[in-house]
Amino acid sequence: MLEKCVALGAVTLATSASLSAIARAWDAAETKRKPTPFCELGPFYKRDAPHVSVLRAPGDPGMPLSVAGTVYSASGEILPNAKLEVWQTDHFGHYDNAGYHFRTGLQPDPKSNYGFESVLPGHYPDRVCQHVHYLVTAPGHKPLTTQLYFASDPVFEGDPDKNFSRDPLITSRELVRPVILKGDPQQMVAAVVFDIVLEKA
Amino acid sequence: MPNKIALRAWTLLLLLTPFVQPVKSLGMKSTATVALPCESPQQLISPAGDQVALRCKDHSVRLVNVSSGATQHTFGTELRINQYNYSRDGRWFAVGLWDGTVEVVPTSGTAEPKRWQSDSRRIETLEFFPDSSGIVVGPLDRPGQIWDLRGSPKQVATLHSDFGGLGACAFSPDGKLLLTADGDTVVRFYDAATWKMLREYRGLTLETFAVAFTTDGKRAVIGGPDEHITVLDSATGAELQKLPKDADMVQQLFPFGSDGEAVILYTDGDGKRPPHQSIWNANTAKSVPLTAERPLTGGGIVKGKLWVCSPRGKVLDIWVYE
Repeated sequence: MLEKCVALGAVTLATSASLSAIARAWDAAETKRKPTPFCELGPFYKRDAPHVSVLRAPGDPGMPLSVAGTVYSASGEILPNAKLEVWQTDHFGHYDNAGYHFRTGLQPDPKSNYGFESVLPGHYPDRVCQHVHYLVTAPGHKPLTTQLYFASDPVFEGDPDKNFSRDPLITSRELVRPVILKGDPQQMVAAVVFDIVLEKA
Repeated sequence: MPNKIALRAWTLLLLLTPFVQPVKSLGMKSTATVALPCESPQQLISPAGDQVALRCKDHSVRLVNVSSGATQHTFGTELRINQYNYSRDGRWFAVGLWDGTVEVVPTSGTAEPKRWQSDSRRIETLEFFPDSSGIVVGPLDRPGQIWDLRGSPKQVATLHSDFGGLGACAFSPDGKLLLTADGDTVVRFYDAATWKMLREYRGLTLETFAVAFTTDGKRAVIGGPDEHITVLDSATGAELQKLPKDADMVQQLFPFGSDGEAVILYTDGDGKRPPHQSIWNANTAKSVPLTAERPLTGGGIVKGKLWVCSPRGKVLDIWVYE
């Protein structure tokens, strides 16, 4: 599957550390931005998550995941005052409802960049695809609920353009993000860039 | 989970085992057997007890007369129904579609059906006013909408929500209060005459899936993935109790009888274990599994009594719990 993903471009093997930087530079050339598509809140949102950037605990099973991005307004301004709440299942597809494992509240840095370390979430019977939930708010902007999906998800069979609608809850192909494998073969990390664009209220 | 795609209540129940044994549980009395026009994994019995809504395996929904077995209305597969519900008197039936359309039809007679586009998102929640003059509509992750059904459907109010949508709602037995649970984890009480929000309860951190008033209307009962069932004072919104529950999540609550009893539908949240039901008492906090020799796949509250049902081959057996 991995080979197929690479062949079709769903997974990129990083040849240098600058790919995301290139993508960011490309994006930065634009001023107006298209708002990030909505995707449903889901039933397991939990208030008051702790502010941690490392969601995985030592020994947690699963492919390490590193997500980074920038929060913008649709007019292209950065939004360092935004607040992100992020939650996902563990590797086995289980949400921690009793506690806050794999849940966080994040504040972007002064350049409006955010990031967190986790593991690729698992599949579970009622949902087709692996996903990470986001609730993003910023003063003067509409709250956004959305979900991040992974182009490497086996459900897409290496071709998310063709197969993203296999999950009826995926509202837009844009939410399926490329996965870049980084690190040495013994410590691979799935890296994903997911920028957020909020609409003015 | 579960997104809330699933039709809640009894309609969430899944058939996981073949049915070969009759139900012989204590307290269950057979009341009807209905010929099934389709293979039906989920059923909702009308509050009048004269009709059952069948969710068919082909995703159509059929309204079947309990006495005659006649199909009185069919909502086709092409409609993509996501939610449905009866009015309190059983005279009306509403369906909510994936495209945000709501359709309300009479369960019998010749009254004119009503159909309108409530939103562009799928309908997650439908609750008739107690007198059937209107309906509360909850589109996915949008605030609840109040629609007047006298004449052409007209939206008369929008409910509150910080974010997320209307997950569950219930009217008080006297019809004066509307209780809502929203995706933002807040439980709210509204005046059902003016739709003004009277009070809110922000003591939960997780979203609520089920809300109900006790049959005397004095307490509001709230359940979901939390570790407890929360009981609020209807008059003040103050928390009265946090009561124990089963390990699984409360998916739906149906109060019945007059001594604080409710039937609770539990699901495990990730579809790995079959749903189950318990008879729970708000006064004693005691819970007794509602067991049967074959899985119960539907039910309803009929004139204050709990009715349950389960298919057996090409018929549906209905029992009253006493």
